[in-house]
Amino acid sequence: MVTGHAGRAEPAVQREQGLRALTGTDYEARGVSKSFANVTVLHDVTVHFHPREIHSIIGENGAGKSTLVRILAGMFPATHGELVLNGKSLPTLTPRDAQRHGIYLVPQEPRLMPDLSVAENLYLGALPRRGLGAVAWRKMIGTTEELITSVGLRADPRLPAGRLSLAQQQLLECARALSHGCGTIFFDEPTSPLTARDAERLFELMWQMRDQGLTLGFISHRLDEIEAVSDRITVLRDGSVVARAERGTYTRENLVTAMIGRTLTISRRSRRTAELGPVMLDVNELVAPPEVSGMSVRVRAGEVVGLAGLVGSGRTEFAEALFGIHRPASGTVTVNGRVITGASPRKCIDAGLIYLAEDRGRNGIFADVDIARNATSAIVRHLPRTAGSFIRPRKEQEIARAAALEMDVRASSVAAAMKTLSGGNQQKALLARWMLAKPLVAIFDEPTRGVDVGAKESIYATIESLAASGLATLVISSELEELVRICDRVYSVYEGRVTGELAGEAITLGALGQLAVGA
Amino acid sequence: MTTARNVQAGSSAWRELYMPPRWAMLLRRREILVTAAIVIVVAASTAAHPYFWSSGNLAFIFADSVVITFLALGESFVMIGRGIDLSVGAIMGLSAIVVGFRIQNDGMTLLPAVLLGAAVGIVFGVGNAVLVGLVRLPPIIATLGTLSVYSGLEFVVTNGNQVDTIPSSITNLGSNTVLPGVPVILLLTLPFVLVSAWVLRYTVFGRSVYAVGDDAEAAYRAGIGVQRVQFLTYVISGLFAGLGGVAFLVYTSGASSTTGVNDNLTAIAAAIIGGTALTGGVGGAFGALVGSVFLTVTLTAMSFAHVSDVWQPAGVGVLVLLAVVYDSRSRAGRTRRTAKRQRGAR
Amino acid sequence: MTTLLALPRRYRVPAWGTCLVLAIVAELVYFTLTTRQFAGHGTGMLDLTEQFAPTGVIALGLAMVILTGNIDLSCGASASLAAVIAGTVLAKGGSPVLAIVAAIAVSTLFGLFNGLIVAFVGIDSLLVTLATQFIVTSIATSVAGASPPFGFPSAFTLIGQGSVNDVPFALLIFLVIALAVIVTVGYTSLGRSLTLIGYNPRAALYSGIAIRGSLTAVFTLGGFMSGVAGVLLAAYYNSAQPQIGTDLLLPAITAVILGGMDIFGGAGRIGEVVLAVFLLGFLSQGMLIEGDSSLSVTMVTGLVLIGALVIKFAFERNLRQRFGARMQRLRTLDRDTHE
Repeated sequence: MVTGHAGRAEPAVQREQGLRALTGTDYEARGVSKSFANVTVLHDVTVHFHPREIHSIIGENGAGKSTLVRILAGMFPATHGELVLNGKSLPTLTPRDAQRHGIYLVPQEPRLMPDLSVAENLYLGALPRRGLGAVAWRKMIGTTEELITSVGLRADPRLPAGRLSLAQQQLLECARALSHGCGTIFFDEPTSPLTARDAERLFELMWQMRDQGLTLGFISHRLDEIEAVSDRITVLRDGSVVARAERGTYTRENLVTAMIGRTLTISRRSRRTAELGPVMLDVNELVAPPEVSGMSVRVRAGEVVGLAGLVGSGRTEFAEALFGIHRPASGTVTVNGRVITGASPRKCIDAGLIYLAEDRGRNGIFADVDIARNATSAIVRHLPRTAGSFIRPRKEQEIARAAALEMDVRASSVAAAMKTLSGGNQQKALLARWMLAKPLVAIFDEPTRGVDVGAKESIYATIESLAASGLATLVISSELEELVRICDRVYSVYEGRVTGELAGEAITLGALGQLAVGA
Repeated sequence: MTTARNVQAGSSAWRELYMPPRWAMLLRRREILVTAAIVIVVAASTAAHPYFWSSGNLAFIFADSVVITFLALGESFVMIGRGIDLSVGAIMGLSAIVVGFRIQNDGMTLLPAVLLGAAVGIVFGVGNAVLVGLVRLPPIIATLGTLSVYSGLEFVVTNGNQVDTIPSSITNLGSNTVLPGVPVILLLTLPFVLVSAWVLRYTVFGRSVYAVGDDAEAAYRAGIGVQRVQFLTYVISGLFAGLGGVAFLVYTSGASSTTGVNDNLTAIAAAIIGGTALTGGVGGAFGALVGSVFLTVTLTAMSFAHVSDVWQPAGVGVLVLLAVVYDSRSRAGRTRRTAKRQRGAR
Repeated sequence: MTTLLALPRRYRVPAWGTCLVLAIVAELVYFTLTTRQFAGHGTGMLDLTEQFAPTGVIALGLAMVILTGNIDLSCGASASLAAVIAGTVLAKGGSPVLAIVAAIAVSTLFGLFNGLIVAFVGIDSLLVTLATQFIVTSIATSVAGASPPFGFPSAFTLIGQGSVNDVPFALLIFLVIALAVIVTVGYTSLGRSLTLIGYNPRAALYSGIAIRGSLTAVFTLGGFMSGVAGVLLAAYYNSAQPQIGTDLLLPAITAVILGGMDIFGGAGRIGEVVLAVFLLGFLSQGMLIEGDSSLSVTMVTGLVLIGALVIKFAFERNLRQRFGARMQRLRTLDRDTHE
């Protein structure tokens, strides 16, 4: 375990004892409210976290879970209410104060310093000192090795952290919490970027920590994980606490009802009787190293085809190779008979292929730009012009408005900035953008990520009606229920290859789940 | 069932993530590469002009590089923290003028002169630090603004005069050599380089600068006082610029209202050549030293090759472009899994 | 939530623009009252615009570059080079037309060079134009030689010094170019591409916008504008000193920032930049007429730049507290970000 230098046994023992000495705190958010300017995000929320417990906060997107947990960790202050630690009310916190009290937040996307070593990342903000402000390097590297091994991470502490995989980075964040002596740890949607196996590993670590007496908070919207992991659940809806439950005292329907205020059944896609059209998208043995190792996919007009797989299986990279964001090394892509392998996004759009990207914040929306210009961003060339050259703003707005209405975007006006819309409405606005391009083939990558249940339904309805009018649709999704719900056929993808294909009635959660993990 | 792709447990994972041995890492280090480049240029130049390799010439080159070394050292601190300081040349000029007048008119000796230079540098560095660190203005525009204000101040302070008499007790530091080719002033500079390198590599503050440069928001969340760190880097930049002003007096024995105004790019170029990037998180003190020596050697070689002095700025410009292109090529290979901006410091 | 989705009102009066107009009026009144030569028989103010029209043209080119989130530090040096080339052609007996074409062609080529490196090699524009600035300066100094050309035929100097019905040519050229830029940015595909690239380059890529082509084009246009400015400078001063345009970088950037453009790209109105050019221009000229030295003017310009930034940032921090930070840019750290 200890390599490279003469590691002394003493620090190892001390560290283990240190871990055992960590205790969770009794931590409560009491009557917490939070407003950003006029928008109230949390309203009179009281949640109590106890040691030896995994307490999950669930809710739809926008319910306020992330905001709550960030207030608990000192990222920003609450507008009203107080935080009570072991019975004592805390003054306004900074993240550093919170850490001193033993509170740590493992963020949704672990952000490490790629150029700093693993050891420095672990001890970020709290590098061990030696006098004159110097860093105690040797000691730091030694304790780092012990600590990261205890959470199951194997890596050289001197390595630049940029080389770690996402799952490893998450483990590093956990190790960091422990290294700061924090016994109250919050996890903000930690499993979104993880494979099922990595998620399991994380849960094992969490159970281990819980049994050692720590207080753990867990935020997720994945109900199966919540059910597996939680000792206690608090449900938030629209910024207020609407339900609390302990392990074994609830059903999934209860949870869903509490989250969205109505029951929801996963209904299968209505069987379609119409004939499918010709093959619109024909991808043959596409190779785009290192993630895509040779994938072939076919989609007909009017068909909704899914790509199932774990995060990291290469589906997004596949789509990006189709759309010209990356150049494929080999293989062919044909849209409606036209070969467009390696064509730029512009040429793909012109040929009838569009791509609704996965990370809409980064790759999709222009946050500060109005909805109208967001909607027309893909068709600027085809906007009505005066004298052949000059865009007519009024006409542009009318076009955008019509498209947005068709997609059921809820906003006050198309002049509103995109960032003022909720996640679901942003996604619908992006759909409006892409439908304006009159595509023949559409690739939707995680179309309902970060979208509340109501908007989800709306998007599913849109996808189905688009298919009915002849659009060839490829849906990439990590939510198996979604694929079961809307797809006619599903390919499963594992490590850059297509490993199986299911059609019609054969598409079930069980079958998909098996294929997705490569079994 | 094993997931071969996810590098987790198993000895293959361990091996893949282990660092290569020290000497292999050393060879790849930027500073070594630049030193090799220096040797090549010196060799080529000496082959064409034997005088190049003489004690007098080498001493001249080193003394010349000392000024840029100081500027680049300060600039390195700022750039590692993902900032930029376009006013270092003007601060150096102001320091040279103020200290120069005191030496010329009041007979100030070396040590107080150095302290005064440092003080002047700190004062103007604080100006930048306040704007960027406290008021949070974008560094490139803020320092462009202070550049013009400080350049104007140079005129105000000189008030039409200039510094032209520096006693030889001071200027000899630039020409007297301890060993053949090594002027005293270079030896006086080395401690500063060493201290800077030590601070950057072994102190909590130094590591915080790298952290802030890599990802300021994560650093903030981790409890690092990002504003304080950024503030200090600009003060340090001013401090070194002030010291550079004193070095300038040693080297040129004079100063005027236009001193230093063109040295901003050279300082940045030296830092970049030495391995510091505008995007922050990488670089170091030795890089500043070898970068500036490389620049000076190359520019002197150009003179020897009878290239008119008019082309010196162009030379620096071309070298910067080459260094940056090389950087972007070598960085393109690395996998980046954490969110890191590729566009430069604003 | 009800779906209103109304169409926006036809036109909103921009707040910042109004402030600028008021400031211009205030300063004109101030200078007219305090300095006798300012208004000088009524047309004095118009004559003053000849002085800062070149700066304005540079600022227009720079504004388009800044719109995309980039910067062009070589614009001033490019103008110098253009002036020197025009002067050299004239000194060697070439016609004014040849001089103008040569000057603008060269600076446009350098703009193209900048654009290609930024767009295709992918290097940050700050570094590229910092380096190019120095390369161009060297070339300009070299071409100008020991004694820079001066004393040009009146057909040429007319551009910089002549007027039509008391309205100087230089001003007309500036206004025509301003109009062209406003139309381009607001109403053409290129302008729309530039704006979207400035707001979010990745989303622009995914929307099918030709990023490399647009960036190359904008830097080339910047080079073109610098060329025009250089010609105006040579014509006005009747000489071609190699430093003639380099000093204009600072006022040009100040005008762009003062005009409300976001240094990170995307936001900003060209019309307000034009107003800022006038504001700054009359300020400098007024100060010079009052008897302040040109270095005081430089210092004041620097202070105005810093002041404009401070105001913008204080103003924007208020806005950010309302809606949360922009995801794709790390500008400052604000404790109240939420997303």
